[in-house]
Amino acid sequence: MAETVEPVVMPDIEKEEQTGAESELDPGYLVICWDDPVNLMAYVTHVFQVVFGWPKPKAEFHMLQVHNQGKSVLTRESMERAEHYVHQLHSYSLHATMERDA
Amino acid sequence: MKLIQRDGESFLFHISKREKGLLLEVLKMYPLIPIAHHRVSRTTAAPRAVESQKLLESALADRTRENKRQLLAMMTLESRRQEADGGHRLKFTAPQMEWLLQVLNDIRVGSWIILGEPDGKKAKSIELNDENARYYAAMEFCGLFQMTLLDAFQQSG
Repeated sequence: MAETVEPVVMPDIEKEEQTGAESELDPGYLVICWDDPVNLMAYVTHVFQVVFGWPKPKAEFHMLQVHNQGKSVLTRESMERAEHYVHQLHSYSLHATMERDA
Repeated sequence: MKLIQRDGESFLFHISKREKGLLLEVLKMYPLIPIAHHRVSRTTAAPRAVESQKLLESALADRTRENKRQLLAMMTLESRRQEADGGHRLKFTAPQMEWLLQVLNDIRVGSWIILGEPDGKKAKSIELNDENARYYAAMEFCGLFQMTLLDAFQQSG
């Protein structure tokens, strides 16, 4: 039996795809580490060095910011990169989130 | 437990019989942090917040499974090793040290959660009892082992 071929109307998704792509590339996401009383200071410094490849003084600066001010903005990234960093930090059991920069 | 030799990316520790017994006992507790405890954002209204949360939970579940598999393999291997010089030798590569740090911190943070998230800054203390004392001990032991591994990285770095 021959198949009936009917014209197919494709939805106009080009514009949506472009918007989504822009949003993913937009470096408008902050990766924030929050203070908690359980993670060791030396451990937090080490994790920042490993995850971000920072030298020890920079890692210590952010660790102390977390400790003294309750949080530290670690980096500003696209959504995909921010997600990547948050996943890495959570695998070390740090309290990290990604937030849209206002 | 102390670092006795470092050769490139390889770390050799001496661990007493008692310490090794404690370490293996503590590692049996892994994993302790509930996956849902990890939050990708504090803003639930953020774009793609639900998908991002699911993605994080899925990635962490995969990692936990893999960590558990590696942990069982390591514990089986270590339980068969013969004692030497009043203790044992533990040999780790740098990636294995990173992995062990993650596992130990899961147990440390998970124990802290079970203990009611005590916080000295908020005068929220631990109320120890027969049921939770083992988690307090695990939290402290993990901290000690973590510091030994971190010191070894520092000595070599």
